[in-house]
Amino acid sequence: MGSIRFDKVDKVFGPVSGGVKALDDINLEIGEKEFVAIVGPSGCGKTTCLRMVAGFEPPSSGTVSVNGKAVTAPGPDRAVVFQQFALFPWKTVRENIDLGLRNKNLPSGERGGLVAGALKLMNLESHADAFPHQLSGGMQQRVAIARAYVLDPDVLLMDEPFGALDAQTRVVMQEELVRLARVNPRTVLFITHAVEEAVYLADRVAIMTRRPGRIKEVLDVRSVRQAENWDRFEKIEDVMDLESFVHLRTHIWKSLREEKGAHGV
Amino acid sequence: MIGRRGWVSLGSVAAFLLLWFVLTSATGAISPGRFPSPADFWVSLKQIATRGYAGAPLLSHALQSLKLVIMGFAIAVATGVPLGLLMGWNRRAEAAINPIFLIIRPIPPLAWIPLAILWLGLGDAAKIMVIWFAAFVPSVINSYAGVRAIDRPIIEAARMLGTPRWRLVSEVIAPAASPMIFTGLRLSLQASWTTLVAAELVGALAGIGFVLNVAQQDIYPGMILVGMAAVGVLGWATTWLLGRAERRALAWNVAGRD
Repeated sequence: MGSIRFDKVDKVFGPVSGGVKALDDINLEIGEKEFVAIVGPSGCGKTTCLRMVAGFEPPSSGTVSVNGKAVTAPGPDRAVVFQQFALFPWKTVRENIDLGLRNKNLPSGERGGLVAGALKLMNLESHADAFPHQLSGGMQQRVAIARAYVLDPDVLLMDEPFGALDAQTRVVMQEELVRLARVNPRTVLFITHAVEEAVYLADRVAIMTRRPGRIKEVLDVRSVRQAENWDRFEKIEDVMDLESFVHLRTHIWKSLREEKGAHGV
Repeated sequence: MIGRRGWVSLGSVAAFLLLWFVLTSATGAISPGRFPSPADFWVSLKQIATRGYAGAPLLSHALQSLKLVIMGFAIAVATGVPLGLLMGWNRRAEAAINPIFLIIRPIPPLAWIPLAILWLGLGDAAKIMVIWFAAFVPSVINSYAGVRAIDRPIIEAARMLGTPRWRLVSEVIAPAASPMIFTGLRLSLQASWTTLVAAELVGALAGIGFVLNVAQQDIYPGMILVGMAAVGVLGWATTWLLGRAERRALAWNVAGRD
């Protein structure tokens, strides 16, 4: 379970005629347990793509479907990790993670075990009873990831999840996410404007044009990663030094720069 | 220990009391018929506290006023906050209620007093009704604004977690709006006291406002000042209690702490 499909998707904000066209004919298929990153210049509509899968926005035309069913509303089968964390500040870490399970009406014994597992997975055990404001940004995002993972979702939607973190924390979280993906593979749609992040994390990277956003090309990173055996390295900087990594990164950079150039920037 | 600012505050109060003494007792610059001296105030306070005035001792008047304020305030909060939350959350409810609210809102709460007395007489019910009307408005408006100011991702996070509607209200929307709701409660409490005193001035048989009214008819400045001070103390005490409740309820809200 966990495929995502964009089929001839357009998105227009504002009135149908005279509105702003944000997305133009998006077609993309994400397979089960596949990690796809979308990169693009700011304002290109990449976050809108994610929001349509989440069920926060309807497409103006075309269909967005998950597991072959058109998305109509948000739901726990499509967990979202937000850039600004979006934790409930009045709930403790444990209560934040528990809410989705309570909504599923699971018995409290089972919930306790699942929450404990999620806390352990994200190294949050010693902060279970803290309020979000008592935690650093990186810790808060760990809570948000735990809150998403504990739902056992079909797909995980991550909207620039590390964009609000400082550089060091960001690297730690990227490595953590790779570790998570190995322990507990998921279908992931990951939005970012950081090229290295996309290449390091994703199986495939979709590059978007500037607005109205179209998918310009989709790069297969996984075959390169497997061929060059990136996974033998623990640390992101070691992977980033590899020629194969640099090659992909430079390719994406050039592709994005063309988009900015077209803007006159 | 009293810090530097504490000493400044203390000095300011002392200077104020001294000025009061100098202008009244010491020089007679203000005649005792217009404003009481500290000694007059003390005599009046002793009189109403021990022998009573306007039919009852100070404590009974104070409790009567306090009772009405608490009842009116409680009813206003219990009706105003849910209505504000509903208007903030549901566009249709907002469209239905807002116009009526906009027509009624500019009417000063005190303008309801004649109607309230006509309907309900000089007893408690009329005053509770007027307090309700006065305290209702800030509760509604601030709860409404509180919901409208909630960050969109918070609501979206709750939705993606599959939160059912009633739980969304009780565990997400209400707590998210609670800093603003408490602002509304403070304004409501203030409005409750203002309105109560006015209502008791117009028609009552007990309470602090009644004391003020009788003292005015008796041309008794000392007792007028005692009544004013009593309202001040009661208002301060209830506001302090509400502030404590707020700090406890909003312990999670680090930004709201001062």
